[in-house]
Amino acid sequence: MNTIEQCSYMTHGAVMPFCKGCGHSNILKKLNDALGLLQIDPHDVCLVTDIGCIGLADALFDKVHTVHTTHGRSTGFATGIAVADKVLASGKLKTIVLIGDGGSMIGLLHIVNAALMNVDVTVIVANNFLFGMTGGQTSSLTPEHFNTITSPFGSMNPSLDICSIADASKAGFIARKTATDKDLTETISNAIAFNGFSIVEVLELCTEHGTKRNDIKGNMLVKMAEEEGHTVGQIKNSDSRAEFSKKYHTDVHAHKGEIKALKYINPAYEHTLKFPKEIIISGSAGERVQSTAAMFAEAALMCGLEVTQKNDNPVTQGSGFSLSEVIISPGEINFTGVSSADFVVAVSENGLKEIKAQDIFNRINEKTIFIIDESLNIEKKGLNIITLPLRRLCGGDKAAIGAVDYILMHYDILDHNAFKLLLEKRFGTYDKIFKEEFYKL
Amino acid sequence: MNTETKKLALRSGNQMTAEGAIKAGCKFFAGYPITPASGIYKGLIDLLPLNNGIAISSPDEISALAYCVGASMRGVKAMTATSGPGWALMIETVQYALITETPVVISVVQRLGPCTGGATQGAQGDILITEFATSGGYTIPVIYPSTAKECYEMTIEAFNWAEKYRTPVVLLSDKEIGMTTESVDYSKLKISATVHRHLISENDADFNNWKMYGFDSPEMIAKFAPVGSKVKVTATGSAHNTKGSLKKNDPETLAVLKHLEEKIQAYRDEMVLVKEDHEEGSDNLLISFGITARTMKDSVKKIRKQGKKISSLTIFSMFPVPDKAILKAAEGCKNIFIAEENFSGQYRMIIEPLLKNYNVLGINKLGAMITPDEITERIMNL
Ligand code: SF4
Repeated sequence: MNTIEQCSYMTHGAVMPFCKGCGHSNILKKLNDALGLLQIDPHDVCLVTDIGCIGLADALFDKVHTVHTTHGRSTGFATGIAVADKVLASGKLKTIVLIGDGGSMIGLLHIVNAALMNVDVTVIVANNFLFGMTGGQTSSLTPEHFNTITSPFGSMNPSLDICSIADASKAGFIARKTATDKDLTETISNAIAFNGFSIVEVLELCTEHGTKRNDIKGNMLVKMAEEEGHTVGQIKNSDSRAEFSKKYHTDVHAHKGEIKALKYINPAYEHTLKFPKEIIISGSAGERVQSTAAMFAEAALMCGLEVTQKNDNPVTQGSGFSLSEVIISPGEINFTGVSSADFVVAVSENGLKEIKAQDIFNRINEKTIFIIDESLNIEKKGLNIITLPLRRLCGGDKAAIGAVDYILMHYDILDHNAFKLLLEKRFGTYDKIFKEEFYKL
Repeated sequence: MNTETKKLALRSGNQMTAEGAIKAGCKFFAGYPITPASGIYKGLIDLLPLNNGIAISSPDEISALAYCVGASMRGVKAMTATSGPGWALMIETVQYALITETPVVISVVQRLGPCTGGATQGAQGDILITEFATSGGYTIPVIYPSTAKECYEMTIEAFNWAEKYRTPVVLLSDKEIGMTTESVDYSKLKISATVHRHLISENDADFNNWKMYGFDSPEMIAKFAPVGSKVKVTATGSAHNTKGSLKKNDPETLAVLKHLEEKIQAYRDEMVLVKEDHEEGSDNLLISFGITARTMKDSVKKIRKQGKKISSLTIFSMFPVPDKAILKAAEGCKNIFIAEENFSGQYRMIIEPLLKNYNVLGINKLGAMITPDEITERIMNL
């Protein structure tokens, strides 16, 4: 058993819990030495450990913050810690992930995203080509033909080159070393000092499962990696990309003044409603159906009414139908669906189809007024249908607006001026929004 | 009507949740898009930079919650938002927050399931999966507002609970509440005082006795040490003792595991959010929550108009189950109706054992909102 004598970040005299000859002991000693080299205040270090033998490290480092996570997710938690620290807190924290080869694959997208974000996290991948703790099963980083308990005839797949993945994810600091490399301490300390995302893959052997099944020794690791087509050594060290918090500051935070704050609506208009009114507006996606409903709803609010607006559209937001159900009421509105529509508007074939599909004819009463475009036809008998040349006089993109404007022009629901004001804000002078004929309808 | 004091706006439940989070002091949000919860993501992407916080995009839901839990460990209030499919992915990380006693709020805006289900269809089908997401069956506090205004108010509550009890809290919602816009009068918002987690510092008098997960009584919740502070943090998702060290089967470790539940139970009586509409002499009690609680209100009016007596109870604090409030509301009644937009009567299953002496009936529907008439007819025809 190896013991640690002189160190500042590990427990004094810590006993390594690993099997004899396991590369993990060496990696952790080097990590400890690397921190010592950098002289970082232990309170400014957070070790985030993954599941697996290497994850036992948290119990050994009693001076620094340790966060032992769920399997593969360590880089995810580390990202949150690092972003919060750099953007919202002291900004001094060095966040270091210790993860095995198995964990690095289950958590690959966390590693990729941390690299893309360029958060100040160092990921140390302890790669012994298999899952040690659970009995020596094959991992995605097991080289082709390498024997494990679950690849007794040799692994069928080539091993993942995680450093290439990191490179493709624009990581600034990438190194592949072996656990016995003389300069491992230096490499790890450079990685930790790097302001941004860094990854160090350390090749090593699991003496419990790896060396027993394969004729391999520590000095053969470089050759084995190279045979797999993996580069060994310092692969990249470039700080050309800004660390995440700096980029956040210039790209987002500096623009915060441009974000519009919420403006309250002034209820300056009147209404004479005694009971709720319900309206369904239906048309095609991209033809301002829901925004028309929103303007109508806002006009109602300007008249001091209570409002609900419930929208519906297919999952593809830019195609097919678009439908809104709006309720306006002098009192509280509870149920938000239209149960007995006062007005049903259909301005396109898609819209009418949806009215039929949703069986809106079952949610009307004998007084319900249908406002439909002249291009449409409702075969059902006994309905109050008003057919208007909405698309012709208002255009397809303003047919729904025209329909609502028509309703407000002819029925006493709320002050038409409120709606007109909103129209003018958006489209200019009211008399010019639609073709002249429209105003005479 | 004094209109001058009104502060009106058209807001969706999702927007109000985002605004409520800001009011609660949320400083970190990580989001992954999913209908019908994306409005909260967009809301906080806009609002957090204005309020000295940060919102980021994550590559999946697992990352979203892991980022939030990490940020909370650094000491900031954090939140994410998702729907059923995303929640399914977050369950492991929720358990991590629970066992490490890290405050975090997860808004789950329900849509039709199972699986991908109906992305743009509402449902109330995630009640059991949000609550029973932990191995061991620990109570995850779940709050479920029913209006846009309540979304604001109860998001603050959710953060307060998370901070006070050092626990993940689910803010449940549904497509209809999350995405429907409605008039909100900001001058009428009831805003609870904001709670912040108690932090430990080296200079505190109790520092020498302090342990990250220590307690001497069920109701004691240890002060929190953020990663990066001068107090060393030891956190692990493994079973651990009061210091946070992994320990197998030792009595202290088992006591810590039990305390995770006992601390919530110790406060369950102050975690009650319900609204009762009692009618004297009524045989019938109608219980609901979320979007269906709104329908319930209209039904109650209709039923009373038709001459039948009815009481109702809206439940906001779904878990821990407000058992005393439910029993109090049920007193003197014979029939208890539980209306919810799911097929199997999920909340009914939970509260039925409480109501052994009553005739418990479910009003359920799948794929669309239950209408006021459907509830009314069911009760009138009993
Ligand atoms: S099982 Fe393998 S990886 Fe685990 S400690 Fe033993 S030698 Fe190391």
